[in-house]
Amino acid sequence: MRKINRKYVIIAAVVAIVLIASAAFLYIYYQGQATEAERIKVLQNLVDDHDYLTSLSSYPEKIVSLAPSCTEILFALGLDDKVKAITDYDNYPYNFTAWIAAGNITSVGDFSDPNLEVIASVDPDLILATAGVQGDTIDTLRALNYKVLVLDPPSVAGVLRDIELVGNATGKTAEAKTLINSLQSRIDAVAEKVANAASKPTVYYEVWYDPTSLWSAGSKAWQNELIEIAGGTNIFADQPLDYFLSSAEAVIDRNPDVILLPSSGMGFGPPFWGSIDEVKARPGWDSISAVQNDQLYQVDGDVIARAGPRVADAIEALAQFFHPELF
Amino acid sequence: MSKDNVESTYFRRTSRWKLILVLLIFALIATVIISINVGYAQISFPDILTILAKQIPFLNGFTASSTIQPSAESIILQIRLPRIMAGVLVGAALAAAGVLYQGVFKNPMADSYVLGVSAGAAVGASFSILFGVSFVFLGLRLVQVAAFLGALAAMFLVYNISRVGSRVPVATLLLCGIAVNFFLFAVVGLLEVVAGDELHSIVFWLIGGFSNVLWKDIWAMLPFIVIGVVVAYFYARDLNLLAMGEETAHHLGVNVERSKQILLVLASMITAAAVSICGLVGFVGLMIPHVTRLIIGPDHRILLPTSTIIGAIFLVICDDLARVVATPFASTLELPVGIITMLFGAPFFIILFKRKKQSYSV
Repeated sequence: MRKINRKYVIIAAVVAIVLIASAAFLYIYYQGQATEAERIKVLQNLVDDHDYLTSLSSYPEKIVSLAPSCTEILFALGLDDKVKAITDYDNYPYNFTAWIAAGNITSVGDFSDPNLEVIASVDPDLILATAGVQGDTIDTLRALNYKVLVLDPPSVAGVLRDIELVGNATGKTAEAKTLINSLQSRIDAVAEKVANAASKPTVYYEVWYDPTSLWSAGSKAWQNELIEIAGGTNIFADQPLDYFLSSAEAVIDRNPDVILLPSSGMGFGPPFWGSIDEVKARPGWDSISAVQNDQLYQVDGDVIARAGPRVADAIEALAQFFHPELF
Repeated sequence: MSKDNVESTYFRRTSRWKLILVLLIFALIATVIISINVGYAQISFPDILTILAKQIPFLNGFTASSTIQPSAESIILQIRLPRIMAGVLVGAALAAAGVLYQGVFKNPMADSYVLGVSAGAAVGASFSILFGVSFVFLGLRLVQVAAFLGALAAMFLVYNISRVGSRVPVATLLLCGIAVNFFLFAVVGLLEVVAGDELHSIVFWLIGGFSNVLWKDIWAMLPFIVIGVVVAYFYARDLNLLAMGEETAHHLGVNVERSKQILLVLASMITAAAVSICGLVGFVGLMIPHVTRLIIGPDHRILLPTSTIIGAIFLVICDDLARVVATPFASTLELPVGIITMLFGAPFFIILFKRKKQSYSV
């Protein structure tokens, strides 16, 4: 009885183990098949910000970035060795001018008019570009059968979506998720803090100022949402435009509590507005509340202008200007 | 024709001229008063009058100023008024220079572009925008000084390479001017290519505008423009005779070469001063003298002063339009005035010509 028992137990155990093992194997196998199929499906159905469908057959090995914001996303996802060419305007997260000089990365030249021959000689399997001035270049590159993803996010949520898109296209899905979660929680933390603020300052963001023109940002500008999330109100939030020619008269009349001055438009040279004192000395600006209360702040022109992974930095910096008492 | 007849014709004509001038000056004053009400900020006319009266010592005591916002005062005195005065000054200067250029060249297409003056100013301005952002000379921005000097340098260059012996034939001047003009605009194009961020400023300087003009810019350029126009007026008779041909003018006692030289220097100085304030505001110098000629006639003694005033009125109205024309799209949106002068000026010009329907010459 005991002998028979043992025999049956052993047989039953072996059968059980085999069954469980094969079930587990089959489960893992089909799961793997499913994720592999899912992965290929994602790679073949990359939809960018212009709703353009791009299909990749494998993860890219040679990537060209045509905008500083795209470069920042690529490096934030750890694709350092896959990025083969960038523009002359790229300056973050590394000193790319030195990289280009040392021959470690190729320059495609100007942001608004990249050199097609340089791009072709890199022979990229993925190109990241942005919209606006690059529209013609993108059309040309696609006509030449290059794979181009356009990152033109309409909002902060759009930037996070773009990071996910680049992650999917390059096999960095997990890294993208981690980055998105971290950015989202930092942004949420700021939003939570400023929700309790007693006041909501009005803000003038200066895009450009010279003797013949003054430019600011309306509701469709990227900076409008950053200001809003950071607990301020753009004085031109009612203007249904992105960047537009306005007047000193309108700025004085709308009397902002805070004036934001980008350190520079594209990261070169001294700021176009001179010094804070020169801004305060502009004719008629002495009646503006921000000038009277010394609420003029220089912001990093790159951080506030680039729709990339430094978006949380921008929002945190603005919130500290608007609500110093909360930080 | 008896002597009496000539005299009575002369007096009838001069009294008609005086009437025209008085009417135009009133029109200019009316334009300025209307324009001071035009802008984004809603400031009532009584408030504007109070703000202005406060600036006049004698009237100061009569004003109840406590109700007026400090921002309204800033807007009227520091933003709108200098802007309107810049419009008056620049419009007057460009139109006066246009009369002189067209008169000397006897060519309806002549304007500040012909002698390379505008192109010289553009090269000077572009260079200074690119390489000397913070430099200030005698309280003036470098871009203004550079534009002024560039304009004069280009004019002297063209004048000297056109010289044949002691004479400067108009045809040579025109062709050399156009060649230099193309060359200099190629230099501007080259600077634009390497400009990067500053491209913005160069492009808008080339379109022209005076939305951020300062009082001191106006004071700095005022003497050049006023002296230039006044001196030119004394050569109006020479211009009338030059219109009959240089040979005829010479036989009627005009020192042709000398008059041409002085008039071209004056025209270029006036243009240089104007464009240094506001960039290359186009079309005013070309169009206003023609419009005035259609209304007043070709006599330079009346054409020059009337063109000057009509130019001032025209540019002030254009800047009013620049401030309001885009506001239906967005209440604070402006357009550069240089675009308005062409966009609205050109159709106006064409309509005027079509209505005249008869042949026309300078």
